[in-house]
Amino acid sequence: MLKDFVKNIGYDDPLEIYLSKLEKLLGSEYGISKRAVSLLLLQEDEEIFELVKKNEGDKIGVISAIIREANSHYSNPLSYIISERRQGEASRITNSVMSVKEKGLFNFKETLSRLMMNPFIGGPILLAVMYYGLYKFVGNFGAGVLVDFIEKRIFDAHINPFMVDLVNRYLPYELLRDLLAGQYGIITLGARYAFAIILPIVATFFFAFAIIEDTGYLPRLAMLIDQLFKKIGLSGRAVIPLVLGLGCSTMATMVTRTLPTKRERIIATLLLSLAIPCSAQMGVILALLQNKPLGLLIWLGVIIGVFLFVGYLASKIMPGELPSFYMEIPPLRLPQLSNILRKTGSRLKWYLFEVLPLFIFASVLIWLGQITGVFGFLVKALEHPVRWIGLPAQSSVAFLFGFFRRDYGAAGLYDLKTAGLLSGNQLVVACVTLTLFLPCVAQLLMNIKERGIGVGIIMSTFILFFSFSVGYFVNLVLILSGINL
Amino acid sequence: MRKIAIVGSPNVGKSVIFNNLTGTYADVSNYPGTTVEVYRGKCKIGGEEFEVIDTPGMYSLLPISEEEKVGRSILLAESPCVILHVVDAKNLARMLMMTLQLLEAGMPVILVLNIFDEAEGLGIDIDLDKLAKELNIPAVKTVGTTGAGMDILRGKIEEHVKRFC
Repeated sequence: MLKDFVKNIGYDDPLEIYLSKLEKLLGSEYGISKRAVSLLLLQEDEEIFELVKKNEGDKIGVISAIIREANSHYSNPLSYIISERRQGEASRITNSVMSVKEKGLFNFKETLSRLMMNPFIGGPILLAVMYYGLYKFVGNFGAGVLVDFIEKRIFDAHINPFMVDLVNRYLPYELLRDLLAGQYGIITLGARYAFAIILPIVATFFFAFAIIEDTGYLPRLAMLIDQLFKKIGLSGRAVIPLVLGLGCSTMATMVTRTLPTKRERIIATLLLSLAIPCSAQMGVILALLQNKPLGLLIWLGVIIGVFLFVGYLASKIMPGELPSFYMEIPPLRLPQLSNILRKTGSRLKWYLFEVLPLFIFASVLIWLGQITGVFGFLVKALEHPVRWIGLPAQSSVAFLFGFFRRDYGAAGLYDLKTAGLLSGNQLVVACVTLTLFLPCVAQLLMNIKERGIGVGIIMSTFILFFSFSVGYFVNLVLILSGINL
Repeated sequence: MRKIAIVGSPNVGKSVIFNNLTGTYADVSNYPGTTVEVYRGKCKIGGEEFEVIDTPGMYSLLPISEEEKVGRSILLAESPCVILHVVDAKNLARMLMMTLQLLEAGMPVILVLNIFDEAEGLGIDIDLDKLAKELNIPAVKTVGTTGAGMDILRGKIEEHVKRFC
């Protein structure tokens, strides 16, 4: 069957001779033509070489000799020679089948695209996107209006009283009542956090983000930030996984696979775990620091500072080649509403499937912990570092939640704020620490899956100590400079 | 079950074609590298059920990054009976390099000139018959986002399967 489709483009003489020598030597089947295998061998593809070594046994010596000889015949790498020949053939075919009518009109898309990548105008465009897309839409509308409505009007007014009543009436066991509708109950806490606080925030974020994605803005942002990123040892290519991290760092950690070097993948994973807040967390933080623009600026400044500082240090500690950057810039497009809705829906579904069991699991765990006294012990143990960074002891519960998911922890802080237990300074310190704090369980597992158990554990330990240290310093600086937010 | 593999450079609309064929949903965005894992779905063409495989984008059969390797290993290991090489019709010359590689490797390729609306918007016209003859494989023009050309693509797949699989 293979033969039906083989179309060979001829290469020049010495190359063709080496090719046919190799083809004759290959004895086993590879699923692709022997000519293609030989071409890959000549281009020094390691994976194919290993495969051939395994299949051809003794002949590998002769094969290696031919590859060496062929390469010594040319001053340029063979991959270059071969691509050049293919390029020539592709251009020839294209020219014979394609015709272009010149359209000399002023091109709006092209102009906008250039402006987005221009260092002077691209910055303000980025700020506008952040302000309207994130701050206004996700922060004010999602985390403000929607959360207020669902939490107060639906949960506080109807669901919670109804469930508490139901449970009190039909469940004779105090312990079970606590599990379902107690202070940390599955319905009163788990479901409320998931549906009333996190869901509206994540939904608005995913919606805004899907629009940004589909316009083609992200690759332009990557070009804009490339220069800055080079200084911390990353290429502009890393912008995409990092920006995706603002949606969900767990998904984004998987996308670091698109980065070409291992070093870049490790740095990006570290920055995702440490300094990139995910959508849920960011939404809650926007809600926490509402009406505190200075606090929000300090939070943003510290996080960006940590991002650049840790990125710079990591690239110094792990020396390696400076990444070269080449990226496809797709055209700007008007997003399709159907795709936006479908994408938002599919991500929300994914998110809820991931988050809801964890929230319920957390409620059960806390319930068990309360019965056995472990919960109280852990909260007490966490009170020390929490006090150390100047927070009230009650917030240690939120940090314990943070071990499960950072957004869960942030939602805990939101409860404290609503109860009036946190001052302005404390809010900022808590937000900074929790943003930097250990990634959620899902991301921890993803780090281990993608980067290996060693790197995963070292990273997490580093993040744990680092986040509290930064919290400590922010608190100290705020006190010393007499700022009261 | 016979397999149809979708391959091509990043950001040419492979996942949109996949969604069109299978009726399921793989994430679609306007930047390269949205698909980093392999998606599988099913579709029915001409009464026969196929497994459709959406692969992460790759620029050539000589992979550079981890996710590019994934696509190639599927071509090598799963011997699909149809390979849809999805290309951006606006950048034909660059895209055909990989078509040539796939053909050198003896792959059963159907060439899918996607995003054809944007190419037309730029005043580009492509002689489909001549291209198909030049490469000796079927070629189709599609617009994944509107579904234009998908019926013709299904027809070509059916024909192709009858003749070769």
